[in-house]
Amino acid sequence: MQRTAIAALLVFGFASAQAQDKPAPPPIWKQGIPKSMEKSTLAPHAAKMTETPAADIPISRLKLPKGFKVEIWATGVPGAREMALGDKGKIYIGTRIIGRVYEVTDQGDKRTSRVVVDKLTQPSGVAFQGGSLYVMAIDRALRYDGIEDNAAAQAVDMTDKFALPPQQHHNWKYLAFGPDKKLYVTFGSPCNICEPPPEYGQIRRYSPDGSGMEVIARGVRNSQGFDWNPKTGELWFTDNGRDWMGNGGPQDELNRLSKVGLNFGFPYCHANGIVDRDYKKKDPCKGVTKPVALMGPHAAALGVKYYTGDMFPAAYKNTMFVARKGSWNRDRKFGYDVVNVRPSADGKSAKVTPFLTGFLDSKKNEFWGRPAFVQQLRDGSLLVADEQLGALYRISYSK
Amino acid sequence: MRQHGPGRWVLLLAALFVSLAHGQAEERARVCAGCHGADGNSLASGVPSIAAQPGVFLENYLVLTREGLRGSDVMQNLLKGVPDADIVQLARHYSVLPSRPTPGARDKALYARGRSLATSSRCGSCHTPSYRGQQQMPRLAGQREEFLLEAMRAYRGSGRPGGDTIMAAALYGVGDADLKALAHFLAQSR
Repeated sequence: MQRTAIAALLVFGFASAQAQDKPAPPPIWKQGIPKSMEKSTLAPHAAKMTETPAADIPISRLKLPKGFKVEIWATGVPGAREMALGDKGKIYIGTRIIGRVYEVTDQGDKRTSRVVVDKLTQPSGVAFQGGSLYVMAIDRALRYDGIEDNAAAQAVDMTDKFALPPQQHHNWKYLAFGPDKKLYVTFGSPCNICEPPPEYGQIRRYSPDGSGMEVIARGVRNSQGFDWNPKTGELWFTDNGRDWMGNGGPQDELNRLSKVGLNFGFPYCHANGIVDRDYKKKDPCKGVTKPVALMGPHAAALGVKYYTGDMFPAAYKNTMFVARKGSWNRDRKFGYDVVNVRPSADGKSAKVTPFLTGFLDSKKNEFWGRPAFVQQLRDGSLLVADEQLGALYRISYSK
Repeated sequence: MRQHGPGRWVLLLAALFVSLAHGQAEERARVCAGCHGADGNSLASGVPSIAAQPGVFLENYLVLTREGLRGSDVMQNLLKGVPDADIVQLARHYSVLPSRPTPGARDKALYARGRSLATSSRCGSCHTPSYRGQQQMPRLAGQREEFLLEAMRAYRGSGRPGGDTIMAAALYGVGDADLKALAHFLAQSR
């Protein structure tokens, strides 16, 4: 009887913790797997959510062009994704499954970290403007005023203002403030392949208080990174290609938003004009803006930042660094690196060159780290967030 | 439905909580044994077996439960303040212990129905064709039948938060009779 009592407690506990009233969506995982791939054992790689000590990080395996060096800058931030730089130099870091936002403080010889907020549902999006930290989870939008000086700053809940749709899949957010001081936010398509409901598959911008929402890009599958060209002010963004169409792709995209309202093709037209196998319509690529660069098959090109600093050689100025977290839906693993992307003068094409490599052992088809996002520091060095090992690496240059 | 057991259990749980928060990993394992069985093979109704579960699954489960993002109230309380290093050790400890299931008698018809459903639902594509689990996906083979059934019912109703929404989606609209067959087949699997 006593056994039964505790058993009941356990089982009902499972059912009651974080109960959600909304019905589950239909089984999205069934979409897009063809008969021929039904036996495939490919699956997303497991996240690691415990701290990894610096001694367990094989940093010496990383390779960079001559003159650059990489060091472990901070550890103890499991699940680290998008980073935002505070006005006074603190770094704020979003996560997905572990539900935390971190603050990392540079103490000169070492870095300390603390958890700003936890127990959120995939609070991956962080941005900083005017002394305030903005955090977006699937179902929450929070603002922390004056947080760099006041660790006890309480959240201002702005959830009601932002009209966040309920589905989780591909709706962990990336956000950043644009040159127009507006807050730009991604809303992914809640599937591998589907005709997304109207509030998904897009990039939006808002005034910082959540008013004045505009959809600025459509036909987006899952964008997890964007930045503005420092010369033209145009928005450039990454977008991940669909799964279960084979090892070759369709490749991830790097897109340029030359004007508001462009359509980037999902779900009918992928990459450089690959027609979807499952969702068909007449003239699927008509009116679709093609990518500036292809970022590799299943590469998971996430964070993208223009380099504007003075530390790296002048040739890197106003080029992009793109973190490719690495593939799962592909037999031979691909990505697991940071690449440099140099746009052409007219912005219509771009050249992709390896930059930070060594996370992937191609012979063994094994990886040890997953570079997911990049952030330039004020001294011109570049931080890379390793989501797998919960660490930040710093890349610097000297002649 | 947050329930509290008889007073005796509350006291015992309080005691367990104290030892989990302050003990070493080995001591912590003894606390786990109180419900999950000395070797991680549960003999208690509704309590899952944790032996031979993939280490990554156990580690993730323990972290997310400590963070208050999944798991029962009991497990959340037990794990409060447990450091990452101890969680890594506990996960490793149970992942290498052998599975010794003690399912009841097999109902041949129910078993066959469950096997066919598991195949058509492609459970094996994540949990492996032997249903022994891998990486972040738990072992289902030899798990306690009533636990599997309750867990699947909770997933189906979206009442059970997991690492993500995949299980809620996979079980969307599956009827109770089918869940019973699945639970029976998986509990009987080795």
